[in-house]
Parts: sequence; structure tokens; C-alpha cells
Amino acid sequence: MTAESGGGRDFTRSFARAALVASVLAIAVAYASAFARGGAPSWAPWLLALGIPGALGAIMILGAARGRKGIGQLKLPFLFVFVVLASGFCLALGLPANEAPGATLLLGLPVRAAIVIYGIGLLPIVVLPVAYAITFDTQTLSESDIQQVRELATKIRDNGEAHVK
Amino acid sequence: MTGYLNALLQTALPHVAQPVVIGVGIAYFAVIIAISVWAARRTRTASDFFVAGHGIGLIALTVASVSTSVSGFAFIGGPGLIYTVGLAAMFIVLPASVTNVMGAWVLAKRMRLLGEARGLMTVPDAIGARYRSPAAQGLSGVAMLVGIIGYMATNALAMGVVINAIFGVGIGWGIWLGMGVTLAYSVAGGILAGIYNDVFQGTLMAAASVLVFLFVLKVGGGLGDISNTILGADPKFLSPWGKMTPLAALSFFFVFGMGSLGQPQGVHKYYMLRDPLQLKWYPLLKTLGLILVLLLYFGVGVGVKAFVTDGTMAPLSAPDQATPSLLLTVTPLVLAALVFSGVAAATMSAANSFINIGAAVVMHDLPIAFGRRLRNELFWGRAATVLIALAAAFIAQNSGTMVAFLGIFGWGLFASTLVPALAVGLNWEGATRAGAIASIATGLIVTLSLETAAYAKVFTFPSGVTASAVALVMSFLMFFLVSWITRREAPAQIDPDVKLIMEL
Repeated sequence: MTAESGGGRDFTRSFARAALVASVLAIAVAYASAFARGGAPSWAPWLLALGIPGALGAIMILGAARGRKGIGQLKLPFLFVFVVLASGFCLALGLPANEAPGATLLLGLPVRAAIVIYGIGLLPIVVLPVAYAITFDTQTLSESDIQQVRELATKIRDNGEAHVK
Repeated sequence: MTGYLNALLQTALPHVAQPVVIGVGIAYFAVIIAISVWAARRTRTASDFFVAGHGIGLIALTVASVSTSVSGFAFIGGPGLIYTVGLAAMFIVLPASVTNVMGAWVLAKRMRLLGEARGLMTVPDAIGARYRSPAAQGLSGVAMLVGIIGYMATNALAMGVVINAIFGVGIGWGIWLGMGVTLAYSVAGGILAGIYNDVFQGTLMAAASVLVFLFVLKVGGGLGDISNTILGADPKFLSPWGKMTPLAALSFFFVFGMGSLGQPQGVHKYYMLRDPLQLKWYPLLKTLGLILVLLLYFGVGVGVKAFVTDGTMAPLSAPDQATPSLLLTVTPLVLAALVFSGVAAATMSAANSFINIGAAVVMHDLPIAFGRRLRNELFWGRAATVLIALAAAFIAQNSGTMVAFLGIFGWGLFASTLVPALAVGLNWEGATRAGAIASIATGLIVTLSLETAAYAKVFTFPSGVTASAVALVMSFLMFFLVSWITRREAPAQIDPDVKLIMEL
């Protein structure tokens, strides 16, 4: 057991797993509904619009969680990316279509297209990789982590404990 | 999706065999050969051959990873797809804003540390180590081989088409010429040659992409004028869903977003980074690189639509003509030459990566699954490389439309067979061997059966639903369900070093 593992329940990872399962189920229901007679109901894309950001956010939290310490300062970036993706998809679904000759353009594109291209396609880049780099030493990987792994691997080899390979 | 992805074939490129294009093409191949000779002299062990001895620097790995992430589809088929269905096609590339950092959080650290602790070389290696299961390792290797055959054959054909366009040698000779050069550097220099050729090829792609994008903006009078031209004739093109349904466009985002965690050509590069601490800047640099390379995808797709609408360009005979027609009509010939070399680079880069991964499965993962390791992995790795490349070229030349079918399900097959077992499994101690095997088997069977049924036209999916998406969802659900049922076995299936790596 490492210094970080401690006892007790790992709430961050439990939450992430539950969110991932719920999101995948939402996506499954959306696809299943498309097989109904008359095609996909109008609510099906909304399930994807929430399920996809939920699934991506959940698996990121699962990956970023560190022992029992959870995700620390990364809560805000993850919340941000979920909100950006979900609101981007929902606005594209919910806003009235204004794509017509003479339509108002936002940075050269009709409003709904601009929300998708700039909001979903570019905005997360400003936040997520930067958050990853800023928190890397404390949240992701440090020299002592690598040393810990190397020492354990050496100990296992020295003791002649066979791995599956 | 089948119809759209047939665009991958790119069988209708015009001949551009002019002195400038041929000159740039020859210069391109000369650089490839020079890099390969250099790399061959540095390849001495199986580890050198398959993971570059875990010794690649950050910048080289980043550019190489961008290069292998982008196939010829991004330069030819993708812009053609935008031209056909509008902005819906952007949902294939929009996930790039999150996928690289998602991969870094979910997989990079743990796979790199597994490489550190155990000297792992392949993606199935990681699955085998995680679940203490040669069976899971072998099954994931089989699934990867099936996907690799499809990708390789499609890329071999794409090479033939592009080389024929540049040199006018015919598609058949183009396939063997392109595969011959790729094979030569793959056999001689392994992944080391691949990585440094990818660095050259990725730089070429990024430069070509940015220049073409700027040309499109200049000719079109800026993005606003381009949009106004399109809105005057075809407003639906610029709706967020283009001419597809919201369900279909969002499905692209799901399969290409979540599915990125199962693409071996990207994932296995995590093993190669010399210093694990350099992962800190990897997602940022890779994302920025991808954005540069994908500017052409968006710029040409939207630009050509506007230019055809306002009469600057003649209507296209086929959607795949979007990029070549634009290059031959609007941009200087030298830029066209650069882009054609960039397309050749993209296909060769992807082919090299898949040859290497496939060879590792054949000579490393499958023998482990059957309980015996080969003695001279480097020799057998080179032999497997030759066999896979020849098989791909043969299939590309002789199987007609079957190549399109094989190419279609590659991404989805990797996603549905690898994402739950690998990406979730490396981050959840409760995942079990039975869950992983059930998930991989589900992904393999569902993808193959649904794609075959759809190809044979015995079954039609409702609008917006794809075999890849259904298989990925079912694989996830099977993974969680079987892991839950067999949850008591979970603690005994993790070695102490793997457990430590999962906790960090």
C-alpha cells in the first residue's frame, strides 16, 4: 500500500465510474431509440449531447485521479470542459437556425456553426492541455513516482517473482 | 457512413505529372531514403525496432504522433466529405480539442510507467500485464491484426493513387512503389526510421496545410466572405449538422472522440518517450500540431464549396476532387506539389506505423498468448513486417471494392475492442480479466457482424447510427457488466507493480 492509497472508499473514481456508466447508458438509449418505427425521436440527440461530454469527462476524471487524493485542482478544468461541450451541443440543437443569406456572422461563421467550431473545437485547447501541464508535477507524475516504480520493479525482479510474461 | 468513407479510396485524383511536381516528389523520396539509411544503422534490438529503445525526445515524438494520426483522408477524403455534407464532417476532427489531453490523463502516464517497470512494447502487452492474462493479450492482438489488415490495404491503395497522380506510373505500380519504399524503411530501420520519417512528413504536412489554408482565405476574401457566398446558395451547408442529422454528426464525435483511446498507432507511442516527465508538454504540443495539419481539412472543404458556388472553380466531378482541383486551379504549382507529397507522406506514415504494430502482434503478442516466446524477436519482427506489407499491397491490388469495406471498420474495431479493456481497465482496479475478454470479444464480433451485414446490404442502420458506435457502446456495457459479475476475482488479478502504477 502506498502513502497515498490509505483506506476508505475512493469517491472520485466511484463517481467517475458511475458517471461513465450513466453516460454510456444514455448514449445506448439514444441509439436504441433510433431503431423505433418512424426513426429517432426528437429527444435522442439531446441524450447524446449530454452523454458524450459526460462520458469523456468521466473517463478523464478516472484517468486523472491519483490514489485517494482524487483530482485536486483539476475539478475546475473538468467542469469547464463538460460545460463547454454540453452547452455547445445543446445550443447547436436548441438555438433557432439562422443560417440564411445576410445572417449575422460570428468570427466569419453563422452563430450556431461558430459555437461548434470555436467553442467545441478550439476553446478546450486553451484550458485542458494547459491545466495538464500546470498540474503535471503534483497531480500526474513526479521524479519520486518514477523512482518508486523503478524500485518496486527491481525488488520484484530480484525476488524472482514471475509476471504473467 | 459507408458511402462517405468510400471517399477514403481517392481513386479519382487527376494526373499532375509535371516537372515541378515530379521534382518535389523525387526530393521527398530522397529525404525518406536518407533518413531510413541513418535509422537502419542505429537499430540493433527488438526494443529498438518496435519502440525505438524507449528513447525518443519530446518534439520528435509529438510531430511523429501528429503525422501518424492523420491519414490521406485528412487531405483528400475529408475535404471532399465537407464539400458533400457540410460542417457535419467537422465532427470527425473536432474531438481533437480534447482527445490528446484525454489520452495523456487516461493512458500516457500508466503505459509509460508500465514500459519503465516491465519493458513493455505493445498495446496488447499492457492488457496482458494489467489482467495477468495471455488470453486477453492474444485476443486483443487478434482484434488489432484484423483492423490493421483493413487500414493497411486502404493506405496501400491510397499510396498507389497518389503516386500515380504524381509520377503517372499507374495505380498498380504506384501501390508497389509506395509499399516498397515504406517496406524498405520499415524493415531496415523499424520504428526509429518510422519516427524520424514521420517527423519530416509531419512537418511537410503542417507546412502544406497552413499554406493552402492561407491561400483559400486570400482567394475567398476571408472566412466571412466565404460564408456569405455559401449562405446565398446553400445555407444548410453551414448549419452545425450540415446535411446530416444531429444524431449522425454527434455519433462522429463519440466514435472519433472516445475511440481515440483505442487507436494503437497513437497509444503505443507513449512507450517511446525517453523521459516520462516530458509527457508534461506532450498534449499541448500535439494538439497544436494537429490543429495546423487539420486547417487544410476545413479550409479546402469550405473554400471549394464557395469557389464552386461563385464560379471561381468548375463544379467537381466527384467530391474527392475538392483538394486536387483547388490546388490545380487556385494555388501555385509548387504548393500543389508540396501537398501531393504531403498526401503521399500521410499514407506512408500511417502504413509504416501499422506495419510495425502488426509485426509486433505477430511475433510478440501471439506467441505469448500461446505460451512461447520467439528467440530472435528482431529477425522475426523484420520477417513479419515484410509479410504484412506484401499482404496489404496484394489485397489492395486484387480485392476491388472489398478494400473500402476493410478500411471502413478499422477505427471502430480498435475503439470497441481496446477502449474499455485498456483505457478503463488501467484506471479501475475492479475491472476483471473476464470483463476485459468479454469486452474485446464483443467489440470484435459486433463490429465484424454488423459491418458485414451492412456491406452485404442485408441490414440497414437507422439514420445516425453506425456499427462502430453500437459496437463501442455494447463493448463498454459488457465490460462493466461482466466485471461486476466477477468482481470477487479482481483483487487477485493485479500484480503489485501494476497496482502501484494504477494508484499513482
